[in-house]
Amino acid sequence: MKLTIVAVTLVALTACAPPGEDSGSGQKTEGPIKVANINAQSGQLSSLGKWENKGVKLAVDEANKAGGVNGRQVQLDLFDDQGDPTVGTNLARKISADGYVAMLGTAESAVTLAMAPILKTAKIPNITSGQSPKLADLKSPFLFLNAPTSVTFDETLAKYLVDEKASKKIALISNNGAYGSGEHDAFLKSLKQRNVTPVADEVVTPEQKDFNSNLAKIRQQNPEVLFIGAEEVQSGLIAKQARELGLKAVFAGGAPMGTDVYATTAGLANAEGSVVSSPYLSNEASPAIKEFAAKYKAVYGEEARLHVAKAYDGASIMIEALKQTGGEGGQKLADAIRGVKRDGLLGQYNYDESGVGIHETKIGLVKEGKAVPAAAS
Amino acid sequence: MQVFLQTLIGGITFGAVYALVAMGFSIVYRTMGLVNFAHGSVVMIGAYAASTFYMATRLPFAVAMVVAIVVTGLIGLVIERFLRPLENKDFTLMLIGTIGFGAVLEALAILIWGATGHAVPNPVATEPINLGGVRIPTYSLLVIGVAAVATTMLALFLRRTKLGAAMQAVAMDHEAATACGIHVGRSNALSFGIGAGLAAVAGSLIGPMLYVNPTMGGTLGIKGFAAAMLGGFGSMPGAIVGGMAFGLLDAFAAGNFQAYSELVTFVVFALAVMIRPTGIFGEATVNRA
Repeated sequence: MKLTIVAVTLVALTACAPPGEDSGSGQKTEGPIKVANINAQSGQLSSLGKWENKGVKLAVDEANKAGGVNGRQVQLDLFDDQGDPTVGTNLARKISADGYVAMLGTAESAVTLAMAPILKTAKIPNITSGQSPKLADLKSPFLFLNAPTSVTFDETLAKYLVDEKASKKIALISNNGAYGSGEHDAFLKSLKQRNVTPVADEVVTPEQKDFNSNLAKIRQQNPEVLFIGAEEVQSGLIAKQARELGLKAVFAGGAPMGTDVYATTAGLANAEGSVVSSPYLSNEASPAIKEFAAKYKAVYGEEARLHVAKAYDGASIMIEALKQTGGEGGQKLADAIRGVKRDGLLGQYNYDESGVGIHETKIGLVKEGKAVPAAAS
Repeated sequence: MQVFLQTLIGGITFGAVYALVAMGFSIVYRTMGLVNFAHGSVVMIGAYAASTFYMATRLPFAVAMVVAIVVTGLIGLVIERFLRPLENKDFTLMLIGTIGFGAVLEALAILIWGATGHAVPNPVATEPINLGGVRIPTYSLLVIGVAAVATTMLALFLRRTKLGAAMQAVAMDHEAATACGIHVGRSNALSFGIGAGLAAVAGSLIGPMLYVNPTMGGTLGIKGFAAAMLGGFGSMPGAIVGGMAFGLLDAFAAGNFQAYSELVTFVVFALAVMIRPTGIFGEATVNRA
């Protein structure tokens, strides 16, 4: 692994050597358009990276089959960042030296955050799958998100629970990992803006399995709503143990609670009625999504999911923008992306100056293990 | 008070599972002086075997558990057979061998069942028992009951049967045992088999409480190993007390120290081991490398 890092660095350095030489591949008007897809293909986060890559590839293959960008094919090259920011920065230098006009990925906010300054200097537009609010805070004109940030997820949730359902007694349980603490902070902020103080705020560790103690404390407050800020499996375990303790509160949370992993871990009966905030509720949420899910299954033989859909949306936006610039990159491409108004799988894309394209999520309720839009129930 | 009692219930349930895992570590250690680092992975295989038979073939949970015990027991025998040529020759290689087997088992699980894992439905789907506001899930009672039965059976086997006595003899002095006509290799194989069987009991019990996936053995293995150390490595009563202590420590730390619970649990553990390096039931442990 060290060797590859060294090799990548060397390649990047040697390629950087001749100063002032052709960095604007935008001038090229013939041959394939080079687009890089950087995602973890090895290591702990590789499942995310693999889904993202499949979504991107599906969009690019479709575009190429339909004649490409103004007759030119899109050449999609995959690079493995191993989920490591250091590897990510080396790859950012490499793709700028190798004449890539655009970058898709990564799935980890931390890696994208590390790469952003380099890509900004190299004027390579990047559509990332990261969801951290810190990405929007950068306000880089070359960084775009293909999904909402945690702030949007939790703001929509708070709006539904407090403004629409008039819930007052809300308890929080979240883990102190990267995802859980982000959810905790964002939801708490949204509650504060509505002058709601949570009746309980329990923090657990990401590896914890036994929540009896935390949940017993929450039960004493008898909350109407229990906000769960944790990944799929842990959210499921919390929901299961909460019901075993006789907690009657409605469960609410972000995208992990719309998954089958959450529902089966909790038990279908326990997960019933959980409130989910997500831009992509299920593979059946709309006719367009249904069509996409069927297409995806036909190609890869597995069910589509949020990570696949948002990568597909991001790649489609990139291709649309490339068509407008005629394959040219740089500032022109960034402006074109900002101008794309796409009715995507995740919703209506409309980019603002911070690079956020989706400004709302949908509220779903879990029914028999599947998230269905709240309005339809 | 209610919070205290509820925490106790959770702690005891998980403690019973940790105790079973710790006993698996200890039985191998007391006979061979070897820490079986593949034990956590064997627990994972046990969980997969039991849940697969229970869910796919609709076997009753108890039958699925027995099938899982047989499957992992065989795996235990295979591991021992591979390590046997090294017995009393190269202890370090044997240790590394068990680590290697752990990795192999994890890779096998990914090949057979995939990397994502599955949830296991609760086999006793009844309402929790309500005792003055303290709710006791019926499944917790099952876990504690099965763990108690397994422990008793093991104790009877070690004390009352000839084979068990032979294993105890090998644990005390394997040369003298050989002189008495006891087959040390067979005795070692038996301890590995029993250890793996205990892992299957623990794994099949924890399945419906958690989410079964190829990496679940990691944390369980570490907690079980630490529990065995705390109780006194190689001691059976120690494994039980250590497992319970760890479950309770975990449970109360979670309620009182929130995000720092894991830190507190292991700091307390480290202090306990520093004060009493041989564990609570500090037997003079064997080391025959």
